[in-house]
Amino acid sequence: MNIICAPAGIVGRENPRQGVTDISAAGFRDMLLDMSLYCTPAKLEKGEKESLEGNQELAALLNHCSKNNICTHVAYAPYLMRHTKHNNTSMIMTQVSEMGIKTAAQSGCQYIVIRPLFAGIPDKDLWKANHEYYLRLADTAKENDMMILLENQCKNKNGHLLRGACSDAVSAAEWVDQLNREVGGERFGFCMDAGVCSICGQNMYDFIHALGDRLKTVILRDCDGSHESALLPFTCANQGRPQTDWLNLIRGLREIFFDGQLILNIKDTATSFPPVLRSGLLAMVKSVADYFEWQIEIERVLRKYPSRVLFGAGNMCRNYMKCYGETYPPLYTCDNNKGLWGEMFCGLEVKNPESLRDLDRDCAVIICNIYYKEIEAQLRQMNIKNPIEYFNDEHMPSFYFDRIKRDVWNGGQR
Amino acid sequence: MKIGVQTQNIIADTNPSEGFETLSRIGFSCADFSLNSYLKNTSIYESELNDFFTQPLSSLEQFFAPHKLGAEKAGIAVNQMHMPYPVYVPMGSSPLNEYLQKEVAPKSMEICHYFGCPYIVIHGFKLTHYLGTEQAEWEQTQQFIDSIAPMAKEMGITICIENLYDSVAGHLVEGPCCDVRKAVERIDRINEKYHAEVLGFCFDTGHANLVGIDYESFITALDYRLKVLHIHDNDGIDDLHQIPFTFTRTRENKSSTDWDGFLQGLRNIHFDKTLSFETAPVINAFPEQLKLDALSFIFKIGAYFSHSVQMGIGADIEGTSTE
Repeated sequence: MNIICAPAGIVGRENPRQGVTDISAAGFRDMLLDMSLYCTPAKLEKGEKESLEGNQELAALLNHCSKNNICTHVAYAPYLMRHTKHNNTSMIMTQVSEMGIKTAAQSGCQYIVIRPLFAGIPDKDLWKANHEYYLRLADTAKENDMMILLENQCKNKNGHLLRGACSDAVSAAEWVDQLNREVGGERFGFCMDAGVCSICGQNMYDFIHALGDRLKTVILRDCDGSHESALLPFTCANQGRPQTDWLNLIRGLREIFFDGQLILNIKDTATSFPPVLRSGLLAMVKSVADYFEWQIEIERVLRKYPSRVLFGAGNMCRNYMKCYGETYPPLYTCDNNKGLWGEMFCGLEVKNPESLRDLDRDCAVIICNIYYKEIEAQLRQMNIKNPIEYFNDEHMPSFYFDRIKRDVWNGGQR
Repeated sequence: MKIGVQTQNIIADTNPSEGFETLSRIGFSCADFSLNSYLKNTSIYESELNDFFTQPLSSLEQFFAPHKLGAEKAGIAVNQMHMPYPVYVPMGSSPLNEYLQKEVAPKSMEICHYFGCPYIVIHGFKLTHYLGTEQAEWEQTQQFIDSIAPMAKEMGITICIENLYDSVAGHLVEGPCCDVRKAVERIDRINEKYHAEVLGFCFDTGHANLVGIDYESFITALDYRLKVLHIHDNDGIDDLHQIPFTFTRTRENKSSTDWDGFLQGLRNIHFDKTLSFETAPVINAFPEQLKLDALSFIFKIGAYFSHSVQMGIGADIEGTSTE
């Protein structure tokens, strides 16, 4: 999986140096080439189409990226406002998107997100209009070896954002397949905007499941489910819990073994933070991105080892066994609690950690306890050379209705 | 087309005839009987059950006899009914869930039959958090439907599943039965299994609005499987059950709910059943002196809807019948 930072709210258009440096210092190695910052929706609305070709500000941005060893694998083409007053946008958007494809290719991008046409088009005609639109763009994409990614949209109903073009994932998958069939190759894919899914209250697990491997990029941004903002994930909270359904997003991406581009868009959070705090904020953004990567890849990690043992005989172990025990059966589990040694827990023998010394070298130790670092240090101190991985049960494919209280299962519920 | 409204906050157990007469006087010809008001969802979630449904069926029928008589005398048809919900509480005790499914649900079916009501609305189980997938959740709901479907077939009742929402820290997101493709397939499969129309759909405009569902395409896809409606409005954020056209989100002050899409959807499928409003909170929101006016206004919106579905959106409403 490739982690990408979106520059909106972080990188200044006229003076990109500081923003790019901050992104790099936070540990990001890839940045979204967001062309809407240079050819803005507001200007498009006024009919002022800014050229991307030969754009000095864009050139300066790319120059700073290069200096900071930051790639741009994904570009985002200019787009119209959701409440645009324009009706006939096919020609202008074709020109803008073709320009975007060429610029993206010159910048080393592999993918370009191009929103579907929507303005002035009745819902029943969306496919027809976009079918023609995307096929027109396919030639330019092919010449420049780029993949075009369609993206789920909401539509503006007098200020209320409803499900719009490509928000039905089953239909969107059909669009992608049909386009690819017609161009004779994988020229089209999909970009999922988790913020749009959240505004439309969609089940993100089902959304991802329907798209499967057509899904090439995912944009993570938080919002309150009503207003279209781009906040740092987990910050839009209520009653002590996040208001975006991250559980189903992670469930879905984990299940399809997502290995594409994961884009963090925190425009509104970044803009609202005082600039002097931005470097600290970006470090946090990177941590959040790493957390998502860890959560999404948990099953991929489990399946890469020929055998595994668990460390920990509590709820996390129980959840492992519920969701992964059958597909990735552990040899046994171990625990520092001497009282458990020799007992059976969820079908596993609980052993003394000393048993780990006898493992085959390629058998992984999967830590099922939140004291990851302490346990890893303990194992390394024991000179255990086996791979060590951290399991986590915060976003599981399914949950028990209850949690075991230690004193209960010590009493015999095993 | 008939126009109906929820009985909650209108029909009083002490004198049901009076409420039904009021509805009739205003112009309503149908009622959505709020059986769920006798065992409220808030109580169920708190495991604070009353003993209403522990009564034998004969006592329940005796209790509802004045309601039935009052409706009949006023010429109001109880065209749809809402079963108490939920019928499954995820963290609830086994006796609680057994009571809900094995006592409350069958008795609700019996009461529905007693009223001669053809449709009963149920809520699907909300279990995706625990079970992981909507499909696994549906399988639990289907087990419940299977438990009452034979009664439905025998009584000539169609059980209606409803599009629901769920909550993610107060943010309302799609819940059971929000995927129209799946709903259509499931309804057809179950009806085929029972060789009867035991399952249909209740489209709830408010719930759909909360999760941005496109009214027209959803209703059009449901087609004849759409049996009953829960018509109400909200701000797209909370489930407010208010009067249609109430909410706007911009300074232009145009409705932020897609009522044209709703009407077009009904028109597409030649919907000829009851336009039923689930607007009980409206009645409580207005002062006593204005409650009848509020009800009359709801009826007028129903008449406008009926006319629009039959004649086309924007057609002149002068001199048209609402029946």
